[in-house]
Amino acid sequence: MSDDSRRRILARIRGIGGGRDAASIERELAALGAAPGAPAPDEDPVTSFMCNVLRNHGSVDIAADRRAAVEAVGRYLYRELRSHRLVAGNDPHLAAMPWRDGGVLPRFGTLENGEQAALSYAPWGIAETGATVLVTGRYSPSSNHLLPVHHLVLVESANILPDLEAFWQRSELPRGKRPRGISFVAGPSSTGDIEAKLVYGAHGPQAWHVIVMGEVAPDALQRANELAGRAAQSIPQDA
Amino acid sequence: MNAQDPEHYSFIDAAQRALGDPAAVAQRDMLARVTPQLRERAVAGFGEFEALRQHLRRVRQHTLDNLDYYLPRFELEATHNGNRVHYAETARDLNGIVLDICREHGARRVAKGKSMVTEETELTASLEREGLHVVETDLGEYIVQLAGEKPAHIVGPARHKSIAQIRELFLAAHKLGERKLERAEDLVAEARQVMREHFLGAEVGIIGANALIAENGYSMLVTNEGNGDLCASLPKVLIVCTTLDRLLPRATDAAALQRLLVRSATGQDQTCYTSFYSGPRRAADADGPLETHIVLLDNHRSDILDSDYRDMLQCIRCGACLNHCPIFAAAGGHAYGSVYPGPMGSVLAPLLDSLETYAELPNACTSCGRCEEVCPAAIPLPDLLRDLRHDQQRAGITPQRWRRGMRLHAWLAGQPRLYHWLTARGIGLLNWLGRRRGAFRRLPFAGGWTGERDFPAPQRGTFMQQYRALQREVPDDE
Repeated sequence: MSDDSRRRILARIRGIGGGRDAASIERELAALGAAPGAPAPDEDPVTSFMCNVLRNHGSVDIAADRRAAVEAVGRYLYRELRSHRLVAGNDPHLAAMPWRDGGVLPRFGTLENGEQAALSYAPWGIAETGATVLVTGRYSPSSNHLLPVHHLVLVESANILPDLEAFWQRSELPRGKRPRGISFVAGPSSTGDIEAKLVYGAHGPQAWHVIVMGEVAPDALQRANELAGRAAQSIPQDA
Repeated sequence: MNAQDPEHYSFIDAAQRALGDPAAVAQRDMLARVTPQLRERAVAGFGEFEALRQHLRRVRQHTLDNLDYYLPRFELEATHNGNRVHYAETARDLNGIVLDICREHGARRVAKGKSMVTEETELTASLEREGLHVVETDLGEYIVQLAGEKPAHIVGPARHKSIAQIRELFLAAHKLGERKLERAEDLVAEARQVMREHFLGAEVGIIGANALIAENGYSMLVTNEGNGDLCASLPKVLIVCTTLDRLLPRATDAAALQRLLVRSATGQDQTCYTSFYSGPRRAADADGPLETHIVLLDNHRSDILDSDYRDMLQCIRCGACLNHCPIFAAAGGHAYGSVYPGPMGSVLAPLLDSLETYAELPNACTSCGRCEEVCPAAIPLPDLLRDLRHDQQRAGITPQRWRRGMRLHAWLAGQPRLYHWLTARGIGLLNWLGRRRGAFRRLPFAGGWTGERDFPAPQRGTFMQQYRALQREVPDDE
């Protein structure tokens, strides 16, 4: 049935289409130019990214290095769950973290139903949307960002891209090297389906915490908070 | 397509029933005030929204003009990515393909994400008739599934339901003992608990697609709940049900669509999840489906492509035209009898089914033009609705009395001197007859109007008489 349908549908489409050669179609497409992007809240991409994470109902912490990042994870877990346990993908970036220094007890692997917190390593962040980009693979199970109640994401400040186009232009994705899933995660799971009231934790995480690791301007987080319309230091730094 | 009983379906009757429920009317009024404000704020915040809208319109036009190039290209890339690509000419074909896949895997439980295409084909009912347990996992879709209804809105399927109604549905459906369920948070938490079990036990996941990318074979899925991503990631088999007109040439075009879609649909700058799926899990992947299928539905879309209504294929299913339509606000989505309500549905339903079945929908329009103004794809919806009315007139679907009246009016409008003389006399007569009350309780040939409200008496002459008088008062050179 499907083969016959395919033949008939493609024949109809061919009958309607111009039957032009690929080169002229691609030339015409290239001539259409690029789409405008959303205005950035700040000229610094890292500040813009953090501002948009906050606007997306996430929380943000900054960490100068891996040790500080582990401490930030530990503070978050203790504050929210009174626990030091979490699940992390087998990502080499995460495996190499000094977990003991922060008193965190990670289990490396795929989150099981009932486990509360998971940490993902995002190879990219998008300043335009405040999204962390997660790529499924050996080290990055999708369950870890879809199933926990608390989803923590580690992203390096050097890997924050200005906009969506910058991500796609950087990702060549040739045949045979395309990951199964590329997810732009920009907030905790939410729904407005009951009388238009926004509720978090519809299916996935109720809370989304992003830790930006690396070089960040000294006042960047405070400025991001101000731009997002939140009181500065709204994210408690202590346990 | 979905007019439950085409023989007895009547938009007017359904709209009147909808207007008889004051609580539902108040809810629709509230949404009709709030949703346009959300969109307006998001559009204003973007700045170059009109440039974005025109850019994407050109890209989509280019894609539709060259679908014979982009469709086989997508198929090739998607196949290289490990998918099986199926073509379905009709709704029944799509349902049959999905059922065959489920049977092949001995599936009993299906987790289904939100997909208007599968609403169009009535896939859930079709699978349930064959004994499969299908759960709609989008919360709004789940609520209408429990209620045994169709979605009332293409983006917010259960927006017509009150919290009390949803509570009753949950208490009846979930055997979880005594509980209060008074707040939206309680209901969401219960739905999460119930559906988590289903996600983990389902053998097949079904999702739709907001876009298909020809250059790399990925499909794009935009959600806030993340249920679509769970459907795409946890079950062993994934089926993507979509249509030919979702194609875009490049991933960067999907980025442009993403910007337009979320601002137009929910007034957000960004949804929580925007995901791109290429196929089954890779050899070393930690999780993901073992087998993936993409089912491409035509269901008259190639006919639309070959017609004067091809602009309708630019629709990105954001629901902005519904949120801004005074008829939709008054009558609600169910009155349309189609899974596609509002202005976009009034064009699409007759094209996907028949002009006879949905004869009233092209007339369910005040020609206010708000739908075209806010449409992110710049679809000339009022023009398309007018063209459908012309088609109805030509096909003899419009009632004979209307057709005669229209013919008489057309003839009269072609005789300007006679037209002006007659209307001037008519206006003068109404002005004289209504001079005491300023309005009429009854008027011959206007029972439809005066049955509901008074008809105001004209105060002065015709438009042309007033225009000429004004010209005499204000000379051209001032």
